[in-house]
Amino acid sequence: MATYILRRVIQAIPIVVGISVLTFLIVYLTPGSPVDRFRSPRVSAEAIAALIRSYGLDQPLPIQFFKWFTKFWSFPWDPNAWGFSFVDGKPVRDTIIARIPATLELTGMALLLTVVLAIPIGVLQAVKQYSWWDKIITILETIGYAMPTFWLGLILKQLFSIQFNMFPLFGMHTIGKTDLPDLLWHLALPVATLTVVSTAGWSRYMRASMLEVLRADFIRTAKSKGLGARQVIFKHALRNALIPIVTLLGLTIPTLLSGAAITEAVFSWPGLGGLGVDAVRDRDYPVVLATVMIGGVFVIIGNLLADIAYGYVDPRIKY
Amino acid sequence: MRIAAKLPTGALEAPGGGIDEVDLTPVRTYWQLVRTRFLHHRLAATAVVLMVVLVFASIFFPIIGGDAWYRTSLKFGEHDPVSLIAPMGYDNIGINIFYRLMKALQTSLIIGGVAVLIISIIGTAVGAVAGYVGGAVDNFLMRVVDVVLSLPTFFLVIMFVAFLGSGNVFVIIFAIGLTGWTTAARLVRAEFLRLREAEFVQAAKALGASDRRIAIRHMIPGAMAPVVVAATLGIADAVVTEAALSFLGFGLLPPEASLGNMLTHAQDYFYRQPLWIYYPGITLILVVIAASFIGDGVRDALDPRQRVEN
Repeated sequence: MATYILRRVIQAIPIVVGISVLTFLIVYLTPGSPVDRFRSPRVSAEAIAALIRSYGLDQPLPIQFFKWFTKFWSFPWDPNAWGFSFVDGKPVRDTIIARIPATLELTGMALLLTVVLAIPIGVLQAVKQYSWWDKIITILETIGYAMPTFWLGLILKQLFSIQFNMFPLFGMHTIGKTDLPDLLWHLALPVATLTVVSTAGWSRYMRASMLEVLRADFIRTAKSKGLGARQVIFKHALRNALIPIVTLLGLTIPTLLSGAAITEAVFSWPGLGGLGVDAVRDRDYPVVLATVMIGGVFVIIGNLLADIAYGYVDPRIKY
Repeated sequence: MRIAAKLPTGALEAPGGGIDEVDLTPVRTYWQLVRTRFLHHRLAATAVVLMVVLVFASIFFPIIGGDAWYRTSLKFGEHDPVSLIAPMGYDNIGINIFYRLMKALQTSLIIGGVAVLIISIIGTAVGAVAGYVGGAVDNFLMRVVDVVLSLPTFFLVIMFVAFLGSGNVFVIIFAIGLTGWTTAARLVRAEFLRLREAEFVQAAKALGASDRRIAIRHMIPGAMAPVVVAATLGIADAVVTEAALSFLGFGLLPPEASLGNMLTHAQDYFYRQPLWIYYPGITLILVVIAASFIGDGVRDALDPRQRVEN
């Protein structure tokens, strides 16, 4: 197992380098320059040149890349590792770290609810295949899956904030309040948005996985041994049907940090996704670079965790 | 495969000359079988009807409406009752919402369609080269696919669009196309690895056909089935991506009509005109549902393991 993980980590290095090169190229080869914002008749050409020098933009691109890339990985001890925001001048690392809790509260809660809801729904559908329940839920799943998150967010806001005035329209806290009930009250709608969409997908997945297991020979054996339906479904079938879900869980990890950009935008949630979108809008290159790098690295970590977990829950898989 | 299917089964005579058994099943070509299987898929057949209606409406109404999709008016406003000419009423500056919606649908379908076309072309080209050449080229291209797959797709699209020019249709199509080709590339590569050893490819090689000819004329047609499925399903993704871009203000901006920017606009009229959010949203959902069901149907129809009952 240890050698397997080591091999995977070594394999991931060229991909991480690839991600950084690609992101760096997109950011630096696009038209426009970070110093454009300072150009005006009142700023002299010398001042602009000095700015270009101080940002290191006069150096050849490979050297700029190398400097940025080597400095990037010193983030655990160097607060300036990810550079300074062009917008507020603060170290990017601290800005991003400050945003992580808000994003995790939102996406973590949504993921938890999704797992709690989708697994029983999928099992129920598979066990009662072709029943009315199955059909109605399948229709709801199809609609839920087809619904774009931003539209669902708007609808929920329209219904529950405006029509019924039950939940706040946007934001994370009421001004002056930081207690838990207030936070949960603000979380309700964005979490519901994310949960509805992902539950629709996950329960379809769970249903398919469960149906496949229910057709297996060992289920027939278990039934013919005279075991009760409850025991066959929960002890024999469910445990095997959960194996692909574990993989799905691993693949979802990266979206915990980056996947909620649109929902965060709809609800003005002060998380990482919103930070990234705002940074792109403001051409705040250091923040953009850091956000994409974090997203990419987490995808790789998520894939690795999914594979490791897969080997862990399915003893037939050996690394 | 096609030729074999065209041959009447009865023509294969039993050894000894006499016909042993005559198979009276009607002979059908591969594509006839595909069509039958597709039409048996009731949801997919319904989805085709829905998609045809949507496409027809998106062509027809903008033509008869002329400039109605952006013409403002001082005579009509949001409080005017709906009528036959304006089934969804007028917005705050007197634009006929129905015609604007149809124009937006047209834009969405065009962007979705062209983006998916680009995705399929890039994906097929990369997958074909990787699968046919193999070796170091294959390894390199697949690592590129890994890199693109690791990047957060939607964020990458936003970056492209924001840095190369918001509001430009071509930039939007280019951005969606350039980030979405990885799945198609993997599918085509897998098909090519399978087909490379197939007898008809070996035969073409033995006859002295050039690599280019073998890849383009002989292998790509055989490798298209999974790409067609991925492309149909991909239309839904592309349309939603465009809507999300426009909704966030990176995509098409007014006066251009897009399902996304209609939603952004509707958001400002939450209290007075809640219906305005539903029109573009439900249109978007219909497009997505139609495309996904057609995709499911095509997948099942192209799968030769599926049986057809007469």
